[in-house]
Amino acid sequence: MDKQEIFAEGFWHNNTIFAQLLGMCPLLGVTTSAENGFWMGAATTFVLMGSNLVVSIVRGVIPKNVRIPAYITIIAAFVTVVDMTMDAWMHGMYLVLGLFIPLIVVNCSVLGRAEAFASKNSISDSVVDGLSVGLGFTLALLVLGGVREVIGQGTLFGTPLFGAHYPDFLMFILPPGAFIALGFILVGVRLINRWLQKRAAAGVVVGRLQEAAEV
Amino acid sequence: MKVTREQWLMVLALVLVATICTVLLGMVDEVTQGPITQAEQDTLYAALVEVLPPHQNDPIHDVLHISDADTGPVTLYLARDGQGKVNGAAFEVVAPDGYSGNIFILLGVDRDGQVHAIRVTNHHETPGLGDGIVKNHRWVDSFAGRGLVGTRWAVKKDGGDFDQFTGATISPRAVVNAVRRGLEFYQRHQDQVAAADRVAAAPGGV
Repeated sequence: MDKQEIFAEGFWHNNTIFAQLLGMCPLLGVTTSAENGFWMGAATTFVLMGSNLVVSIVRGVIPKNVRIPAYITIIAAFVTVVDMTMDAWMHGMYLVLGLFIPLIVVNCSVLGRAEAFASKNSISDSVVDGLSVGLGFTLALLVLGGVREVIGQGTLFGTPLFGAHYPDFLMFILPPGAFIALGFILVGVRLINRWLQKRAAAGVVVGRLQEAAEV
Repeated sequence: MKVTREQWLMVLALVLVATICTVLLGMVDEVTQGPITQAEQDTLYAALVEVLPPHQNDPIHDVLHISDADTGPVTLYLARDGQGKVNGAAFEVVAPDGYSGNIFILLGVDRDGQVHAIRVTNHHETPGLGDGIVKNHRWVDSFAGRGLVGTRWAVKKDGGDFDQFTGATISPRAVVNAVRRGLEFYQRHQDQVAAADRVAAAPGGV
């Protein structure tokens, strides 16, 4: 696989949320607004890149039997770095997300990437994989947070969209709203995928016609 | 039982990983400790400025520690006028009976023990319902000027003077009760606060 394929795979085709439906805890917990979703995604992306990088570096060195505790220790270290860094320089956001940052350790997609990808692939491929999976996760959190914020509070990134008299749609701020919104977003993702497939199929047909014409 | 070479390697690998991670975290901790303390102070200061009566001192470093059998040790941030007279104080009260975990409230009182202002500094109440204790400014401001005498410290549903929110009674009830307990605490120690006046002292001296 070249880097472009790795990226497409992690970001879209095998997206943690859209395709695998993993990492639901932070997804439901923090996506009450677009901004929260974005920063949670950014924090996770950093951890994914860091842990993939280090796991890939030590992949030949760690004995097989103890690889899981070693990976978890590495991941936990990166999460703690993110935790302290946000506390220091993004204190306001830390107060909002603080509860969920340590939970990145148990986001199964982070250990999943370390085990399934970084422990078997080159350092540069692993970093690209971490970046793409992280960005895909960020995209999902951002979209879901945006949808819930717009419907629930009538704002996007804190900016009012419908004037001051928007009647807050409480259910979309509460956890059930996350499930409902996610369901519709998944429908949207399937439609996009179907369209992509059709286009690809059409492309193949066009290519064959061209070949035939050339012959 | 003889420990094989492979087992030693496992132990060695885990020890190495743990050691490197610990050293790394120690370094990051070293770097972030200062900014974290600073950020916490800034947050506290921003809240103090909002709840304290007019003052001309630096309340973060002008504190009074009072220990009480009911509340445990409490730090009071003092507001002084230009002469050094205490105009009021701010201190944290905790409402343990919120809907979801403790609600931390910074309560600012004037010298006579009437509420100057309150701010909820940390809570986990339901967004959109209970978090009106932060976002509903009219409700937050309805505490201003109230003292223990002449106010029924309960939400309207319980026959008191404070509104509850649509669909949320527990959070405002918890805050109202916590503020009342804070005022009672202040009343018990009012003489100690008054004793902190330093009108006669040299300017800037303690």
